Amino acid sequence: MKKIALLLLFVCTAATAQKELPNVNLKSLDNKSMNIKSDFSEKDKVYVYVFWATWCAPCIQELDAINDVYGDWKEELNMEIIAVSIDDARTGKRVKPMVNGRSWDYTVLLDTNQDLKRSLSIANPPYTIVVKNGVIVSEQAGHAPGSEHEFFEKLKSL
Amino acid sequence: MNKNLALGILLLTALNVFAQQQNDTVNKTKLKINGGFESNAQWYLNDTERDIKHPEDPFRSNNYLFLKANYGKFTVGTQVESYYKQALLNYNPAFEGTDFSLYYANYKSDKLDLTAGHFYEQFGSGLILRAWEDRALGINTALRGGRVNFKPFEGVSITALYGKQKSGFHVSEANIFGANTDLDLATLFKQENFGLTVGFSYVMRDQEVSETAFDPDQVNPPSISQQTGAYSGRLGFSKSGFYISSEYSFKDKEPVLETKAVTYNFIKPGNALLLNFGYSERGFGIDATLRRLENMVFLSDREPVVYGPELLSTNYNDRVLNFTPSLTKQHHSNLANIYVYQAQNKVFIDPNGVKKAGEIGGQFDIFYNFKKGTSLGGKYGTKVALNASNWFNLDAEYSTRAVQISTPNAEYTFDVNDYDAKFLAGSQKYFSDYNIEISKKLSKDFRGSLIYVNQYYNDQYIRGVAFDNVVKTNIIFAEGIYTFSGGKAITAGLEHMWADNDRGNWASLSLEYNHNMNWSVYLMDMYNYGYEENTELIAGDIDAFDIHFYNAGVTYRKNSSRFSVGYGRQRGGLVCAGGVCRFVPASTGVSFTITTSF
Repeated sequence: MKKIALLLLFVCTAATAQKELPNVNLKSLDNKSMNIKSDFSEKDKVYVYVFWATWCAPCIQELDAINDVYGDWKEELNMEIIAVSIDDARTGKRVKPMVNGRSWDYTVLLDTNQDLKRSLSIANPPYTIVVKNGVIVSEQAGHAPGSEHEFFEKLKSL
Repeated sequence: MNKNLALGILLLTALNVFAQQQNDTVNKTKLKINGGFESNAQWYLNDTERDIKHPEDPFRSNNYLFLKANYGKFTVGTQVESYYKQALLNYNPAFEGTDFSLYYANYKSDKLDLTAGHFYEQFGSGLILRAWEDRALGINTALRGGRVNFKPFEGVSITALYGKQKSGFHVSEANIFGANTDLDLATLFKQENFGLTVGFSYVMRDQEVSETAFDPDQVNPPSISQQTGAYSGRLGFSKSGFYISSEYSFKDKEPVLETKAVTYNFIKPGNALLLNFGYSERGFGIDATLRRLENMVFLSDREPVVYGPELLSTNYNDRVLNFTPSLTKQHHSNLANIYVYQAQNKVFIDPNGVKKAGEIGGQFDIFYNFKKGTSLGGKYGTKVALNASNWFNLDAEYSTRAVQISTPNAEYTFDVNDYDAKFLAGSQKYFSDYNIEISKKLSKDFRGSLIYVNQYYNDQYIRGVAFDNVVKTNIIFAEGIYTFSGGKAITAGLEHMWADNDRGNWASLSLEYNHNMNWSVYLMDMYNYGYEENTELIAGDIDAFDIHFYNAGVTYRKNSSRFSVGYGRQRGGLVCAGGVCRFVPASTGVSFTITTSF
């Protein structure tokens, strides 16, 4: 019991802390190493990290839906979507042809051994993290189909 | 346990004090504590129709609390796991009670990444080393020791590691050493118009050859080395839309793990070859992945731990050093996940039946996007995905060889197995899957997809059993999502599977209603109506009648948290994620899931 109490104490301390992305490098589709913090750090720009996988149907549905309006969003707001694939060696080779085959215009990063996903304690995709000026300003577990408009309104208000 | 706890508290307290001092100064670096909690619980119930009685402890849960504290370049972290009152049914028996499962301290700068404690790692595609975690499958193969990663300049990454592999709350006996280099030659030589990468890995398991492991009446003192090495070389090239990469791995000879135990008279090396190439541009992608595996079981303990009759640590994907996933499409249809291929990395010789030494085969993908405004694209465009995979046994000659044993008392001669596999030739077919998926936005509010799947599943050869059972299936799956204003949506899926063997035909219906960003409910029924008496069932003598596998539940999501409660029936058999499968027994009950991160 004492152990649990102690751990809860830490959790409470944590809950009040400001959350940032960890310092992790991931490979892009053209094999460039990118730092998820420092390579996406333009002042006041809104960065949306969507964790997805080729086998995750709601993820593909969400990214398909956003892709249809992505051009309009970028015109209206200084923002960028980074689609972080958590596919491992089983399905990882399908990422590149699928991203192109579905005409997605996102920056795609590969979290092959799921180091970033684990570091952020993400249980399942889809999972969305919004970062502005280096700070995580919003997180959303799961995806509600048809909520793209609502999501964009939220992005604009951040 | 207490030592670990004390250590953890000490580290966190020290960091806290240190950070508070620093925070008082102008230094902007702050102490950040983050983590996450996940709980998967099940309340098992009796199900008279299925003749299932709940287990001794009907309420069981797997709980994980992960915490890390970061201060600038330093991070410490720990994970506490609690299996209360026991782990969920058929999880690794090594997961028992409550304890610190892992802990680590890390220093990370742009060039240097140092870890002491537990760490995860993957070399190349994992053919000789992958330390990872998958909670749904009960896998945690982290290494405990130390790791150094050094990136002296852009395009060069060098890793060296030492550790013992985690198994439950403990570690296995062998010492594991590893080294890896990845070189991005195009970046190093400042070439912009093509990509060229090479990589080399080495993993070595150092474990004493126990004199008591083999029966001296049956085996000569084994002529095997205490050290078993594994090597991997990789090469990748890309130019504009084309790419090609290949990986070859080799494992030193070691005693072969046959069905239940290691055979010290049967000593063979292993190897794996992976080739991937394709082309893609906006709107189009084509990809081929070919692979050959021969005797590529690589364990952190030469001999698996025996938990009970027929139950080895390998049954729980425990003490496994490498990763050889099945390269097939991971379907999201319910029915296409009943006959799932499992990669064949091992040698299995039944003198009177199945003989196999690995696998050879490949997977092909084509993705195409018919643009808006074209005749096939319509108003919103049409997306088509074709996928085909075929996997075969290696073409090999199996033989027996006489071995003479001399003991002080007598001399014996008896036969041991051997094989010789051809390089590029297949024999019996294990599995194939041909499928096409067409997805289309039909109006502003409606998206639909239509999927056809054709599968061939050779149960006898995949599982290595005596009974000749091949299942051929045809599956049609239609799914639609209708969205209302205000984030409300209904997702409906309708499936049918024609199967010529095992449990016969199935139909499935799933419905999900999203009320808003937070609430959703789901209802699903997989109805197996094709059961015929006197059929040899793959999953054994359970649910031997036509049966509904129904499930219903509610999910609440807010920010980084998700809560879910469901009630329903679990089909007995293999549950697979990421190409690795776990056997689950048939059960009925209420499930609870909580996940959150902070």
